[in-house]
Amino acid sequence: MAVLMLLTCHVQAQEPTPAQAKNITISGVVKGDDGVTIPGINIVVQGTSIGTSTDMDGKYSLSVPPNATLEISGIGFKTQLVVVENRTKIDITLSEDVETLEEHVVVGYGTVKKSHFTGAVSKVQAENLDQMPHSRVDDALVGQMSGVTVQQTNPAAGEAPVMRVRGQGSISFDSNPLIVLDGIVVGNDGDFLSSLDMNDVESIEVLKDASSGAIYGSRGANGIIMITTKKGVEGPTKFSYHGYLGYKDVPKNDYLSSPDEWSNFVRENNGGELTDRLNYINQLGTYTDWEDVMFDGGFITSHSLSAKGGTKNTKFTTSFGYQRDEGVLLTDNFEKINFRVNMNTKLRNRVTLGLNLNPSHTNQRRFPIGVHDAIRQNPWLPLYLDETNIQYVNRFRENGRWADAQIGDYAMERMFDDYDLLLGQPDPNLSGVDISSTSNQNALAKVLERDRRKRQTKVYANTYLKFDIMDGLYFKQTFGGDFRYTSNTRWAGVEASRNGIGDTESTLSTQIRWHTVNESILNYKKKFGDHSLNAIGVFAYEWWSREQTGLEAAGFDNDLIQTIPQANLVNGFREEYRENLISYVARATYDYKERYLLSASIRRDGSSKFGLDSKYGWFPAVSGGWIVNKENFFPENNILTRLKVRASYGVTGNNSGINEYEHYGLLVPVGTGFGQNGYNPFNVASPNLGWESLTEFNPGLDMAFLGGRVNLFFDYYVRNSVDLLLDVPIPSVVGFDEALENRGKVRNEGVEFELSTKNYITKDFSWTSTATATHNKNTLVDFAGADGLISIVDDKRPAEWIAKEGQPISSFYGYVVDKEIPLEYINNPYYPINAQSQDIYVRDLNGDGVIDPDDRTILGDPYPDLVWSVTNNFKYRNFDASFMVQGSHGAEVRNISSQYIKNEFSSNQDYTTEFADANLVTERIFTNDDIQDASYVALRNINVGYSFSKKAMQKAGIQRLRLYVSATNLIYVWSDDYEGYNPEGIDQGLRNPLTYGYQRGPAPIYRAYTFGLNLDF
Amino acid sequence: MKYSIFFLAFVIVLGACSKDPLNQEPISQISETQFYNSTEELEWATIAIYDGLQDVPLREFAITEMRSDNARSNSGEGDWGQFDSWTVRPTNQQVGTYWTVNYNVIFRANRVLENLDAVDVPSLKLQFEGEAKFCRALSHFNLVRAYGDIPILDREIERDESEFFERDPVAEVMAFITQDLEEAAMLLPAKGALVFGRATSEAANALLAKVYLNTGNYSGAESILASLIANPNYALEENYRDVFYSEGNDEIIFAIPYINDDGNESQDFSFEMTAGGVRSGLNYLTDDFIANLIPNDAERLPVLQNSDNLEENGKFMTTSSDVRLCGNDWIVLRLADVYLLHIEAIMAGQLATQNLDAIASFNAIRGRVGLDSVAMDGTGEITLDMLLNERRYELAFENHRLYDLIRTGQAQTVLTNFGNNEGYLFSSTDLLLPIPQGEINVSGGLLSQNPGY
Repeated sequence: MAVLMLLTCHVQAQEPTPAQAKNITISGVVKGDDGVTIPGINIVVQGTSIGTSTDMDGKYSLSVPPNATLEISGIGFKTQLVVVENRTKIDITLSEDVETLEEHVVVGYGTVKKSHFTGAVSKVQAENLDQMPHSRVDDALVGQMSGVTVQQTNPAAGEAPVMRVRGQGSISFDSNPLIVLDGIVVGNDGDFLSSLDMNDVESIEVLKDASSGAIYGSRGANGIIMITTKKGVEGPTKFSYHGYLGYKDVPKNDYLSSPDEWSNFVRENNGGELTDRLNYINQLGTYTDWEDVMFDGGFITSHSLSAKGGTKNTKFTTSFGYQRDEGVLLTDNFEKINFRVNMNTKLRNRVTLGLNLNPSHTNQRRFPIGVHDAIRQNPWLPLYLDETNIQYVNRFRENGRWADAQIGDYAMERMFDDYDLLLGQPDPNLSGVDISSTSNQNALAKVLERDRRKRQTKVYANTYLKFDIMDGLYFKQTFGGDFRYTSNTRWAGVEASRNGIGDTESTLSTQIRWHTVNESILNYKKKFGDHSLNAIGVFAYEWWSREQTGLEAAGFDNDLIQTIPQANLVNGFREEYRENLISYVARATYDYKERYLLSASIRRDGSSKFGLDSKYGWFPAVSGGWIVNKENFFPENNILTRLKVRASYGVTGNNSGINEYEHYGLLVPVGTGFGQNGYNPFNVASPNLGWESLTEFNPGLDMAFLGGRVNLFFDYYVRNSVDLLLDVPIPSVVGFDEALENRGKVRNEGVEFELSTKNYITKDFSWTSTATATHNKNTLVDFAGADGLISIVDDKRPAEWIAKEGQPISSFYGYVVDKEIPLEYINNPYYPINAQSQDIYVRDLNGDGVIDPDDRTILGDPYPDLVWSVTNNFKYRNFDASFMVQGSHGAEVRNISSQYIKNEFSSNQDYTTEFADANLVTERIFTNDDIQDASYVALRNINVGYSFSKKAMQKAGIQRLRLYVSATNLIYVWSDDYEGYNPEGIDQGLRNPLTYGYQRGPAPIYRAYTFGLNLDF
Repeated sequence: MKYSIFFLAFVIVLGACSKDPLNQEPISQISETQFYNSTEELEWATIAIYDGLQDVPLREFAITEMRSDNARSNSGEGDWGQFDSWTVRPTNQQVGTYWTVNYNVIFRANRVLENLDAVDVPSLKLQFEGEAKFCRALSHFNLVRAYGDIPILDREIERDESEFFERDPVAEVMAFITQDLEEAAMLLPAKGALVFGRATSEAANALLAKVYLNTGNYSGAESILASLIANPNYALEENYRDVFYSEGNDEIIFAIPYINDDGNESQDFSFEMTAGGVRSGLNYLTDDFIANLIPNDAERLPVLQNSDNLEENGKFMTTSSDVRLCGNDWIVLRLADVYLLHIEAIMAGQLATQNLDAIASFNAIRGRVGLDSVAMDGTGEITLDMLLNERRYELAFENHRLYDLIRTGQAQTVLTNFGNNEGYLFSSTDLLLPIPQGEINVSGGLLSQNPGY
């Protein structure tokens, strides 16, 4: 209290002495170059703390000495000095600070001017992001920041893309970046980004290097995404509505043949003759384009309404959003409802309270089979039996299985087998023509007769109390957390598979997860003349609790009830897990004359997931910068107007991806067939399990040319991930075949460029551009005795990957293709449609005359060499337009889809007994035939908008009305080498970075067209 | 200002006052440091061994029956076709899994033996020891017959005890198994003391007899087998069908039980043996098997063949609602096997016998299914071929055929012949499976491969 008194006295001492003239009241309006009023501008009597800020209409009013000098400043504007000179009405026009927009970046526990930041950070301004027709926040980040790659690995409605910052670091588990929302750590899983409404987002920053990440040391090893939501502003309440309607579809891809096209191909190669099978197929006469059936397109709509306002002491914002994405696949869709309240208020003079509450609900229906599984069905198969095709159904097959087939039933391939072409009818002796290539159920039935859903209800909340203890010193106590209820259901009905009733199921798995985080922050900020210091100390305690329940029911003989009746229950369980984290952090940032910058931090984290003596880890970091252009020796010139040299070095940690108790040797209850139960060891104990850590060195250069017209940021980094949490394979004689250990070392090394230019700026027309480029090289440096480990994904299709020291973490491994086997040596070269032979000639790489495992080599890897993007923004009077082109080069993908779609894995496609070179061929799956170029260039988004002029709208009480049209993936070009619908597709169900790059039926790349409007009133 | 300091202190105290919160004990599992401390816990650990045994028969048929002239995969594709044609690769997933599941059973048994001191009831201590040793012996026996020389695991080991990664010669393995079974036979209670599914002294003896036959100890085998035949606790079922469909009957000496429609206690090998199974079905009857069916075998035939699909076997047809969650038990040892082994023991490596006890055993098996007997008047003779043939059809699809052929030295002839008819090339190295490639990779060069792979 005493200190308060002192301060107020101090203020009063600045008032003019009684000998001077009395204060006058001045008022006016602050506008920018474009005539638009600017809220939030500071107007201060120079040398005093008498001041105010402009309100929502840019107006201000202040009582000042008549000859005072006013200092008018605001973020992004050049500070102006104006002498009062006895005027009472003073209008001010501010011009933009072209040199740097004095951008502020949100870093751990605070914000910092980008110009003074010594780490590596990329920032996206969410201006147009909310207009992209994406239901997830992460989908919109493609190409927005250098060093951050977002890959559309499975772009079905609501599915998560894969996000990586500076390459794949962790060897065993997810390398997902950490997400921090308004300063509260949310976690590593991308789940949060599915329920966040982009309309609520003010800015997104990604902390890329270890020094900026070190403040979130634990779990910051893979980059940190800082999301800042919109906050209230003083002034009358302003309402905002944003809505759009869009349509998504899949561009036609003709790499599969129709029966007609295939017949032509066969005639060309078979001397003009068609086979019996093709004759039958042509007689049957149906053509089902499975692409059209499965990629049925969908609408996407979004509505978001928000209100924002405040008084001097209290500011709030609240919003409500609804989004529905019908997805391009047949039965996928995603629905999302969001509500948010954010408020901060000054309780007393020095105490501020903040509150943020965000409940949301999402409902996702997932496509129940792999896309490859849907597309591989023969194109001659009709969807349903009808009057024209029912005559071909052979009612004698399989002991009369289809004796009662009726019009309207799903058509199955085997129904049409054993057709007597001569007599023109199904053969009761079962020796007719067979055209089926699978005993599977009709793909349409497999999709429509199944239902897979994921429903989530989440509540994010945080609150803080901030005490301004004295000038420059504050204490902040935050308490935040989230609650998530997730329910996954899966149902398959009586017609969902070829086994009919035998494969019906209904399962439920739920997870309830609580997470709370308590942080106490003490922050001191002071400027002593030329020295500026910012010191912070944090103590944090974080706690998780999750409860997992599963129920499984089977043996239904009808579809009447699709939930889980007790009579059908076959399995059930409930488990609970707890985890916590304790952290101590300290950081000091110092600059001298705003020219020499230094920052150092240290963090100590303890996680309950690790062994008794290895729970804690130390994570230090240091970074420095030198703003060279402020030096006296730096020549004053108009070319290179700004030069900052910076470097950082830090250590961050990772503990994600392992379960809460894995360091223990755990016993689980087990049952027997004779009704007695026991307990059995489930895993090998790992008592020394500890933090995975990443050490990074990152020098960089920030440059501005031509007075800020061109800005260039350049980074080089080397990051070494060590003590990786890895499931190491061990000899089975120990009793288990793998054990969890800290082992291995992976290096990611690369460069990042970010260039932004103001090409042409006038009052009527402006054109700015940004370009980013990233190159990353991933190397497995040490695999601790498992060098050359060969891994497979699927024992049925055992294509190999190799983890070799000196190469990327996972490389494709196998034989190199030499040439095709001539069709005359293939059993059924023209059957089924689109078929390819199972085997292929391969090269004898070691020249020993024999094809054996020694002829395998590394065939490529799934990591791109270069990822880039170019964005252009235009503004002409009331029109604005922008477009982004983005590309990725150098990655390959192991496209297993063709194994299924081209029916390679069938004995029908074996070579004949006359084939003499059986020892020179091997199955395609083991060769680079399936390794395809995953490079692409795409016109990711294009957006054209028109804003109605303010004057016209103001009469109707509208502040802003903007209409826009936009398109996503309007042009998407991939390599000729790639055969499929999505070169970015990666099968995420496997979660093993040692077999990364496996593509098996991902959702296709889609095009979207939207029309939307922004309304502020 | 003083308020803020107060608050800060409060929070720090709050944070520090929880008792070492970073030590989270598992809630839905148990840490092994808290277990193995009482008799009851050791009983639970012993029961867990049987849970491990449930994994062994799941695809055992592929590496035994499908490698013999009894059965084949329906489509001849993938890993499964490799067994049909004796082109098994070291990377074959089933080869790797069989190795792992058997060593896992051995691990569970060794874990129990390590911690027996916690048992304070002396009779139970001996019983658990017997049960563990029986299961350990059974798994070693499975492994040695399939792979040849294998590492002997006579105790629980750490990950770095690499001397255990090396293979021990078959003779040593057999000696170790013999010792385990001889001890188990004395420690285990007789049938009826424990619930059906747990080891008994009779089971240990039956298995011991089999091991004796493998090591040429015919007299030892003969005496055990004769006493088992005379044991009033066991009797051949009247109907052949009941052996497989009347669970827990008195002919069964040791079985691995399963339960219908249970997510944890069901098996799926019954499903795989049907057309719905992987690659359109496994363990299908070979043409050779059908061609050589014993004439007039009216009682066995409907059980050997699935009447709905004569290419499928009919011994393990499920009665469950969910076709993939089957409850048919897996029979490891039964009295009929004992009878036929008895004959083999008397034959003692010769090609025929006229011994009346042998003929009596033979006739018991034939008589049960209404086939004609061999004369008991001194003119009757049982040849090795007759014995093998009877075993082939009596014990079809119970995973005996391949090992019967190997044990009696007939594998080379029979399988070469079979291979010629089917277009497969058989060589003597095919009698052993390859050591799984994955195991060789992680053994650091200590585990060697079998010849021919």
